[in-house]
Amino acid sequence: MTLPIFAQMAVSGAFMGLVYALIAYGFQLTYATSKSINFGQGELVMVSAFFSLTLLNLGVPYWAMIPCGLVFGAAMGLVIERTAVRLALEQKSEGWILLSIIGGLFLFSTAENIWGRDDHPFPTPMSTDPIHVLGVDVTRNEIAVAVGVFAIMGLIELFKRRTLLGKAFEAVSADRDAAELMGISATRTVMLSYGLSGAVAAVAGILVSPITTVGPTMASALILKAFSVAVVAGLDSGFGVVVIGMMLGILESLSSFQLGSGWREAPGLVLLILALALRPTGVFGKTAIRKV
Amino acid sequence: MLAVEGINAGYGTSEVLSGVSLIVKSGTVVALIGANGAGKTTTMRAISGSLRPSKGKVILDGREIQGLIASRIAHLGLAHSPEGRKVFGPLSVEDNLLLGAYTHLPRFFGFLAKAQPDLDRVYTLFPRLKERARQLAGTLSGGEQQMLAIGRALMARPKVILLDEPSMGLAPVIVQEVFHTIRRLKAEGITLLLVEQFAKSALEVADYAYVMERGRIAVEGTPEALSRNERVLAAYLG
Repeated sequence: MTLPIFAQMAVSGAFMGLVYALIAYGFQLTYATSKSINFGQGELVMVSAFFSLTLLNLGVPYWAMIPCGLVFGAAMGLVIERTAVRLALEQKSEGWILLSIIGGLFLFSTAENIWGRDDHPFPTPMSTDPIHVLGVDVTRNEIAVAVGVFAIMGLIELFKRRTLLGKAFEAVSADRDAAELMGISATRTVMLSYGLSGAVAAVAGILVSPITTVGPTMASALILKAFSVAVVAGLDSGFGVVVIGMMLGILESLSSFQLGSGWREAPGLVLLILALALRPTGVFGKTAIRKV
Repeated sequence: MLAVEGINAGYGTSEVLSGVSLIVKSGTVVALIGANGAGKTTTMRAISGSLRPSKGKVILDGREIQGLIASRIAHLGLAHSPEGRKVFGPLSVEDNLLLGAYTHLPRFFGFLAKAQPDLDRVYTLFPRLKERARQLAGTLSGGEQQMLAIGRALMARPKVILLDEPSMGLAPVIVQEVFHTIRRLKAEGITLLLVEQFAKSALEVADYAYVMERGRIAVEGTPEALSRNERVLAAYLG
């Protein structure tokens, strides 16, 4: 195999990896505040993509669709929090695992019934002609993915560091009980994290759809890899998911090219197993700094 | 200012407190002393809402607060500096202080300007915290963390402060410093309920004191009276 093709596969894989990173980031947000994650996150990505596609088909302009899609995703995140997570957390039970999976299945069948089982193309306002950079073709959609992923992650990180509400978010992740004593409502902070996580899922859906098409099963492969990325990087690793996400994207792109497309899913699973065996807190996972 | 009337509280099915009553008058320092496991911390937690009392009343500034959630009680003017300090380790010292004032600061922008007078006050009291404002709270020494925990409670401009075991795990010289601070706060007219194992130091600074034994108030009185009480003397001041 020649070097240019190799580089081409790696670059395309890296862009896809950014989408995994973004979904993994959504896991981190809810894990930080509540030590819970939404196992139906992939279905959130999918229904948000379908919702956005419907808006476009109804004639809503592209620029107006994006905020609507975001709000829809955030609202769905809140629904999941209310229906699947809150009760379980109040009982200190792990029931959110099963409940959020059920929530995802429910969204899946709902989507099938509303939009059918077929994959639909997702329009893009940008030209599909690739741009040549250093001998590698990059599509405008891929650039949009990169810009979108870094924009939303950057915005959320800015929010966490620069606003008092964001600092309160961090405080709840650090010590929920102490945060309550400061007057910070942990329940509302968890809601906030699920809302943000839902919005992040919607962004992922809108960004990835022009590349992968929209269908009820679009997210099942995505979510598996996003989960691998989240665990390998560490559920509290912040931007660590970007590194691991791109790495996984490159690995799977190369392995499916070299070994055949059947091997596409292998690197993610191998990485997941290795990480769990060797470093369960994740490559970038933090060990708590604490002095008594 | 703060009155606790016959509360019972505990964890799960085991009741730790049975019928604890105490009063903290405005502008006074009240000490709650007693052996390990007597229920001092549980009393604090039942007051601040970390724990729900199963019986009895907690009255803050004329208002019944028992059964409210902790964050609500904080908004009503109670600041609880918990046992073990519980500073937010991954956040900076200044962020910790700002969060202390969470109840009366704007949530998005302009909170720094609004908190400045309170920050200055805390930094005057603890110049060390100002030096370390940008440092992560988790990297502070135990004594500095305790100052931060007290500063964080002050930031809320609370009506009452609950201060749980400020001397825990600190070197004697630092403990003295902590008590020095408490005396300064007392001079400023702060209302404080202080839980301490160092009964002697606590009685020196307090206006009134309660002694807990096995989940109840065993003895109460002014520090002078308690210092003459043989039982207290033998058990806690020996």
